[in-house]
Amino acid sequence: MPPAGSALPTAPPRLISQKVMNLEALQRIASRGIPWGGGMRALVWKLLLGYLPEDRDSWDGALVEKREAYAKLRSELILNPSESGGEQGGAADGPLERREIPDGDHPLCLGEDSIWHRYFQDAEIATQIDRDLERTHPNSRFFAGDSKSSRINRESMRSILLLFAKLNPAVSYVQGMNEVLAPLFYVFSSDPDAQQASDAEADSFFCFVSLLSNSVDHFCPHLDNSPKGILSTLADLSQLLKANDEELWRHLELSNKVRPQFYAFRWITLLLTQEFGLPAVIRIWDALLGNPSGVQEMLLRVCCAMLLCVRRELLEGDFMANVKLLQSYPRVDLERLLNVAGQVVTPQSRGPT
Amino acid sequence: MAARRRTLLKVIILGDSGVGKTSLMNQYVHKKFSNQYKATIGADFFTKEVQFEDRIFTLQTWDTARQERFQSSGVAFYRGADCCVLVYDVNNMKSFDNLNNWRDQFLIQILTISFCSLGNKVDVDEGESRAVSEKKARAWCASKGNIPYFETSAKEVFNVEDWRGRRDVSSCLWHESITPTLLLHRYLPDTIDVAGGSQQRSTGCEC
Repeated sequence: MPPAGSALPTAPPRLISQKVMNLEALQRIASRGIPWGGGMRALVWKLLLGYLPEDRDSWDGALVEKREAYAKLRSELILNPSESGGEQGGAADGPLERREIPDGDHPLCLGEDSIWHRYFQDAEIATQIDRDLERTHPNSRFFAGDSKSSRINRESMRSILLLFAKLNPAVSYVQGMNEVLAPLFYVFSSDPDAQQASDAEADSFFCFVSLLSNSVDHFCPHLDNSPKGILSTLADLSQLLKANDEELWRHLELSNKVRPQFYAFRWITLLLTQEFGLPAVIRIWDALLGNPSGVQEMLLRVCCAMLLCVRRELLEGDFMANVKLLQSYPRVDLERLLNVAGQVVTPQSRGPT
Repeated sequence: MAARRRTLLKVIILGDSGVGKTSLMNQYVHKKFSNQYKATIGADFFTKEVQFEDRIFTLQTWDTARQERFQSSGVAFYRGADCCVLVYDVNNMKSFDNLNNWRDQFLIQILTISFCSLGNKVDVDEGESRAVSEKKARAWCASKGNIPYFETSAKEVFNVEDWRGRRDVSSCLWHESITPTLLLHRYLPDTIDVAGGSQQRSTGCEC
């Protein structure tokens, strides 16, 4: 799984065995790339996302609590209307009893609060989720295909996304969330500790919520123009490019009229998951999650670096050539890309003037 | 300046999620079919050169994501469009019913536009699972100002022997639908100034 030429384990395992985790040290390790194998990445990501507390002694308790909470949510919120109201009792054998159904919950009731109305709405969301899950990393046997394991994986991811949609009705499910979930679920499911891997669904759910907490506005059309909406983030990227390479910025935006919306909309909303293969995405995410100034800050740096790394091609290209180039981003040296990203000058790194 | 005049045409593809818009585009542009496309987020961009009569046209095509979330961002892509291709899945009634919405939403943004409509996935189950009849589709198209209608399969490459030689159906239909639609329904100036398009490297140009 590790990309060719990736660094061999260099992180001191001692750090992980300390009683209280040093988050800053973990961020540094992650930024350099977490070693492949050994389940270290699953652990570090959970720590960096705040899912695991820093004190090792409270891990077990925290995990039990979260996983139980997830199981409860899942059984309560993923509806089956035919089963609801089943507490009314009735003999276990013998003819089925007639059940009293409140008028509001009759299957033909048009009320928006009716349990069936909600059920049909859920079914619609589930259909969309299924359609997208079939298209998540279609080359990967972990996610795609007819194997039993891939089907089980898709079912878990579907529950996570459906639950997220139900708990966040204002956002619901938006295409692309499947892609954001995939690296988390993959990393947690691949934990060599089978016990941990078996709870990947619950763990991924909470980490997914945590990861999206800063950028969920990108998925909301009514917030497009708000300070944390996608259009302002795209404008931030444009400013970042201007500050770091004005010539390139002029060429792209003024001469070519290639607006960031034409290429970076997907980069940003999906945290680069559709631009690179899964191992590369995971390596980039190490850097995103390990960034002390947050995922979104590093994401913009990487996006800016992606432009800088193909600057020569871009300066030679016209509108069509450049949109095509940026929409199917070429293979680049990942470590170089991340290195350039680390050197991108941001308004924060320049300090107050 | 340029010995050969070139015209840029902007085409927008609309239709429900999963009806096969990206597959159609790839079949058209790259002559390839794959089950492995990812869901389109934002908009995918394709270009293709087509010759019509003695002129070369560059089709600049935006294959847009069609979930509601992406509607507001769609505006940027609709701007300056010459042609809108509406796609539905003949096995999915809802995707057909929604053509109305796609058409209306598009018309809010763009006033003069030519449409054409494609019923995709005619290969599925050899037509057994078909939910929308050709007759119904044609009737709808007729009622919307005679939108040209074609049935396609991005998957099956039907080898059709005809005066054009052996060509797959989807490519055939695209040639039959988009290009003539553009030419018949809209006045075309010699060049359209689209975002730096005039600066492109023009092959066969003797300057």
